[in-house]
Amino acid sequence: MAVPPEPGPLGPGSPYVPVLELQSVTVAGRGRPRLDGVSLRVGPGERVALLGPSGAGKSTLLAVANGLLRPSAGAVRWQGAPPARSARTRRLQQARIGTLWQDLRLIEELTVQQNLNAARLAVWGWPQALLNLLLPLETAACREALARMDLDPALLAQPVSALSGGQRQRVAIARVLRQEPQLLLADEPLASLDPRLATDLLALLLRQAEAPRALLLSLHRPDLLAGFDRVIGLRAGRIQFDGPVAAVGDAALAELYGSEVP
Amino acid sequence: MAAPLLLLAPALVLLPIALALPGLLHGGGWDLVGQFLLAAVRPSRDPLVLASALQGLAVTAGMALLGWAASLLLGLLLGLASSRTLWHTLAGTPWPAQLLRRLLAIPRAIHELIWGLLLLQVLGLQPAVAVLAIAIPFGALVARVVSDLLDALPTTGLEALRAGGAPGPAALLTALGPPLLPGVISYGGYRLECALRSATLLGVFGLGGLGTDLKLTLQSLQFDELWTGLWLLLALMLLLEAGIALLRRRWGMPQRLGLASGGVGRSGRELLLALLLLIPLVLAVARGLEVNPLALLHWQPLPPLPAGGWGVALALPWPGLVGNTLLLTLLAAGLAVGLAPLLLLLVAPWPWGRLLLQLAWALGRLWPPPLTALLLLLVLQPGVVTAALALGFHNLGILGRLLLEASEAAGPERQQALASAGAGPRLALLYGRFSGLARSYLAYGAYRADVILRETVVVGLVGAAGLGSQLLETLSAFAWDQLLALLAVYALLTLLGEDLSDRARRRLLASA
Repeated sequence: MAVPPEPGPLGPGSPYVPVLELQSVTVAGRGRPRLDGVSLRVGPGERVALLGPSGAGKSTLLAVANGLLRPSAGAVRWQGAPPARSARTRRLQQARIGTLWQDLRLIEELTVQQNLNAARLAVWGWPQALLNLLLPLETAACREALARMDLDPALLAQPVSALSGGQRQRVAIARVLRQEPQLLLADEPLASLDPRLATDLLALLLRQAEAPRALLLSLHRPDLLAGFDRVIGLRAGRIQFDGPVAAVGDAALAELYGSEVP
Repeated sequence: MAAPLLLLAPALVLLPIALALPGLLHGGGWDLVGQFLLAAVRPSRDPLVLASALQGLAVTAGMALLGWAASLLLGLLLGLASSRTLWHTLAGTPWPAQLLRRLLAIPRAIHELIWGLLLLQVLGLQPAVAVLAIAIPFGALVARVVSDLLDALPTTGLEALRAGGAPGPAALLTALGPPLLPGVISYGGYRLECALRSATLLGVFGLGGLGTDLKLTLQSLQFDELWTGLWLLLALMLLLEAGIALLRRRWGMPQRLGLASGGVGRSGRELLLALLLLIPLVLAVARGLEVNPLALLHWQPLPPLPAGGWGVALALPWPGLVGNTLLLTLLAAGLAVGLAPLLLLLVAPWPWGRLLLQLAWALGRLWPPPLTALLLLLVLQPGVVTAALALGFHNLGILGRLLLEASEAAGPERQQALASAGAGPRLALLYGRFSGLARSYLAYGAYRADVILRETVVVGLVGAAGLGSQLLETLSAFAWDQLLALLAVYALLTLLGEDLSDRARRRLLASA
């Protein structure tokens, strides 16, 4: 049940350049491939959920999408362009893709502000990168980033190790947004949260996906699909379905998860 | 200052060194340096040279093994004897432990090279001299580590056993033995690597083995033969390091920078077997080297005291000697501690660059500093900076390997996250990995600085390099009174340095 991707929200007639495009991407693995001929497009402003049982290849797909993993066959395109050969251009391409990691990967030893500014390392040279470790840089932008996450700007000077779990999660999102990404990727960001926090965080993430920024998020729970535009079902490294949320019925979900109860 | 910058701060010492270097060049000698480097890829493969190098290597390895085994035995006994917990349990009072601890500071403060040269004067040239020279200071070091580990263990288990009526020795063995073992064995393995380096060094000063050959070939400018010995030594050292790392992993021993330790558990039997196998090995090596304990009782008559007495000792330029020693220590320590992270950052984008660095560091570790100093003298004038370069290069090899191990153990996640957000490989390494390592690495650096202070004597032959140079000079002049005064000052300085480095280390780790 493959549904062609919807045109983006830019209206009819505007040139449609997908933020992310995978063309028959295969990633070899031990035994069977971790991804097997996966093709998909994510358009500007789209909110896409990636569903599938554990081991379906969700994390692999996200790693290909953010450039950490090179596919063994097939092609990746960001904003219509293949990964650049020049290291510098490639880094700027990658800076437009923000990843929210499940374990957050904040730098515990540094302050919140230094962590937020770490998102700028792609465009900063050495002088600024070193100065950031000595002085508070770009304070206004950092304050705004925290405010957008409903966090107290006084946290800027705190070391990350002093924050609560919920605060860290929001600081991590604020850091990704400091990259001003065109594509926001998140690998099971809700996995280790209690239900209440999970719905709050999901709402927060969905709010960030405004054109041209798109959101691609892997999920383990089909009950949280409400705010998404589209769902992609992944099983054993292949796409099972790809279509609007409303079109995904219980039967498709049951088939996706097989005997495993989500 | 934020963590990663803290890590780079010691590299500031490069500035004064770089400024001093052009003035130190004496103009000539570059052709010889070229020949030396060229010979690295063209070592002599003459069977005679090869046989003699292998023979020398066997002697050096044998001296290292014997010295190490003796130091472990000595250290374990003395460590137990200087444990407060042990005395408290057995005799009800800890003061004999404290007294012994203070006494043990003296053999520890004196470098194995000085022990070697002193014993050489007293006992004459025999293999046992090098063995003893290693065993005495190493034994005192092991004793300190054993008693520190022992006294840091929680005593609740011990108290419970004692309250239950268990006799003292049995309770001690049951409650403290198993948790003590991983730390002691991990440290012991590391000491074996040190012993191999020390045995080579002692050879350079004429105590036999490969070190002696290395120095002779260097002095006669037979660089191709020099490299034959060097490559063989490198192979042995890398083999030893890999073997020890393997056992450490297999037996679940703590890493050197991390302090998380597991129990001995399942591998206990394997461990015991390995210890039992060591005994015949040590005996066979002792036989092979013709180490004769009885010969140690036969002392040589000492040459008579030169005229002049204590007045000459007092007239030594003490402030200059102490000042130069401290300067040498600071320069060498800053060089070693600061250059390791800087070089890792430099080669971060290229995997082969890291391999080259690892090779250079391995050479730095095994290459005795006095030989580096001799090589440097081909192009540089003698002095503190030249000595610091030689000592810094050696310690860079040790610190660099440690930093690399620790940064690998820290896991790639944070670095990956930064790289996937577009940060360059160097900045991703600096922010992502070095942040977490800075404090523990610097704490180790503080400890290393204390070792370097003790080690300054080994580059004493460069001249004008503080107490070390003066010591070597008085030793060869048989000026016993001056020697005694120098030794006392040197030992005092080392103990002060040890105290200072302990404090720095505790502060760094407490704020981590």
